[in-house]
Amino acid sequence: MRRRGLWLDLLAAAVFVGLLAGLPAALRAAYGQASVSYLALGIRAVGLAVLALSWDLVARTGQLSLAHAAFYGAGAYAAAVLLKLTGAPLWLGVPLAGAVAAVLALGLGAATLRLYGIYFAIATLAFAEVLKTVVKSLPFAVAGGSVGTNLPPLFRPVFVAGEMERWEVAFLRNRGYFLVYLGLLALAVLVSVLVQRSRLRYAFTAVRTNEAVAGVMGVDPARTKLVAFVISSVIVGMLGAIEAHRFGSVNPDATFSVHTTVLALVTPIFGGLYTTVGPILAALVLSGVEETLKRTLADGYLVAYGVVLVVSVLFMPRGLVGLLRGLVRRERARRAAAAPRAEALGGRDA
Amino acid sequence: MDLTLLPQALVSGVLASGLYALVAVGLALAIGVIGIVNFAHGEFFMVGAFLAYQLFVSFGFDPLLSILFVAPVLFVIGAAIYSSTIRFVLKAPELNQMLLTFGIGIVLQNLALMVWGGDPRSIGGVPYRAMGIQLGGVSVGLVPLGSFVVSVLLVGALYWVLARTPLGRAMRAVAQNRVGAGLVGLEVNRVYLVAFGLSALLAGIGGVMIAVIQSPTPTVGLAYTLKAFAIVVLAGLGNIRGIVSAAIVVALAESLVATLVPNGDALRNAVFFALILGTLVYRSWRRP
Repeated sequence: MRRRGLWLDLLAAAVFVGLLAGLPAALRAAYGQASVSYLALGIRAVGLAVLALSWDLVARTGQLSLAHAAFYGAGAYAAAVLLKLTGAPLWLGVPLAGAVAAVLALGLGAATLRLYGIYFAIATLAFAEVLKTVVKSLPFAVAGGSVGTNLPPLFRPVFVAGEMERWEVAFLRNRGYFLVYLGLLALAVLVSVLVQRSRLRYAFTAVRTNEAVAGVMGVDPARTKLVAFVISSVIVGMLGAIEAHRFGSVNPDATFSVHTTVLALVTPIFGGLYTTVGPILAALVLSGVEETLKRTLADGYLVAYGVVLVVSVLFMPRGLVGLLRGLVRRERARRAAAAPRAEALGGRDA
Repeated sequence: MDLTLLPQALVSGVLASGLYALVAVGLALAIGVIGIVNFAHGEFFMVGAFLAYQLFVSFGFDPLLSILFVAPVLFVIGAAIYSSTIRFVLKAPELNQMLLTFGIGIVLQNLALMVWGGDPRSIGGVPYRAMGIQLGGVSVGLVPLGSFVVSVLLVGALYWVLARTPLGRAMRAVAQNRVGAGLVGLEVNRVYLVAFGLSALLAGIGGVMIAVIQSPTPTVGLAYTLKAFAIVVLAGLGNIRGIVSAAIVVALAESLVATLVPNGDALRNAVFFALILGTLVYRSWRRP
């Protein structure tokens, strides 16, 4: 196996996460009070990266999942209901959310993973819509019906008069969430790198390219797809729980919103499918683009956002990663073409 | 469960199926003929609704009259979108097509939000909105009945076009084999353009009717995209004839549950999608 590649990737991932971990302190030093809202943007970007990367894991097996809102919502509700009904410790909801999402994914996957293409997509979408209604019609005492229910925040920084300023409470809270989100992203990246640098990558690619051939080569398509689906759902479920803590409440229509699913698939396609870098890069870029458009255009910034998506499909069909690879390749080709000529002319190698 | 409501539920279900079939058949045309998974389909529906609303507010147009204006406008919008964007991704991976149409949908929806705001709008002032006929204990609203009749006529006309006219034959040929159709002298691109325009047109007329039946907001599109997809998938991809029966099944199921089950109205969407999910799971486990 490509041991060296694996260690290089892990090193790169560790450096990336380490740099991001230093971001709150850097922002605070550079911007003071404004760092609170920059950090909020950072949280959104990292959350989007987690969502996108987990969706891409499923896409690598050729399955187009529209159920991410379901796993996200199930995770959020698992944490909310646990804390509402029992005196469980605050943080227990997060792993429970992952477990609940995994069980749902296992059931849904076992039932539907033999479907392909748009049939699978619609089946998962239908599952998400049904689950939304099921949650809505749970007893009011359990899940709060269509109103939803509240969750305590994960971080409660205390204001100490004289020692800190008012805004630093918000800063500390955002820093806490940022680091938790980052931890989840680190987990997602670790999973993604391990998949890319192990035999699983060949299994995933084989299943995506041609299921029949994959079967002949000894890869079990159904099992491979199920593995990807369940891993992905665990990550999304935990994201849902953490996000629910940050928002302070869950509500069927908002928590199970199709919007989550749309973001989960738009981002990796924009960045470049079947890579670790693509979805993360796209999440950072798209969050930045959205925020900039929001500040400069205010009303109707989403129109411009839509135009960005349309233009990106037309002019960079392989996403940001494909665009960068193309640039690198062209640069190499140019150098390769230029080098012999330079030698022939007796010039120095550039 | 109150069985005296059964005839009423059946009638409402059948009437509602017309609109579903109309919207879904347009999407089936885009998927079946062009092979494009169009996630902006519901936005054509929404644009139709709000154009009709605007014509009504500004000029007092009756919705039936505004169909005559909305239809060509939507055809042109569809054709313009096809030739400016979709034409270039025909051979791209399915996911890229989806991202593209999502982008188009976001643009259309937010343009509408800028123009009309987020409040529900409806064509409430038409005199026949509250009128209806009583038929042996079953009340039939004039508007649902009218929308059903219009839908049936349009879907029937589309089937006739597909089966009997040169254009329809061209569409079927292109759907079967893009290259072969080109070889025998069909202008494939033009056929696609017309098909996509027609697809948008059918959705737009459906939108005109929803503006009279309900009070839509500019975000209504996505819900209808999803429902249209569900119906298309239930019928089977590429099976344009199956759309009508699929639409009747889901509309009847929705209506029966909403009327007969206590508190059933909240379950409407769940029934719709549970039916689709059940069918697909059944299909995946059935031995070939």
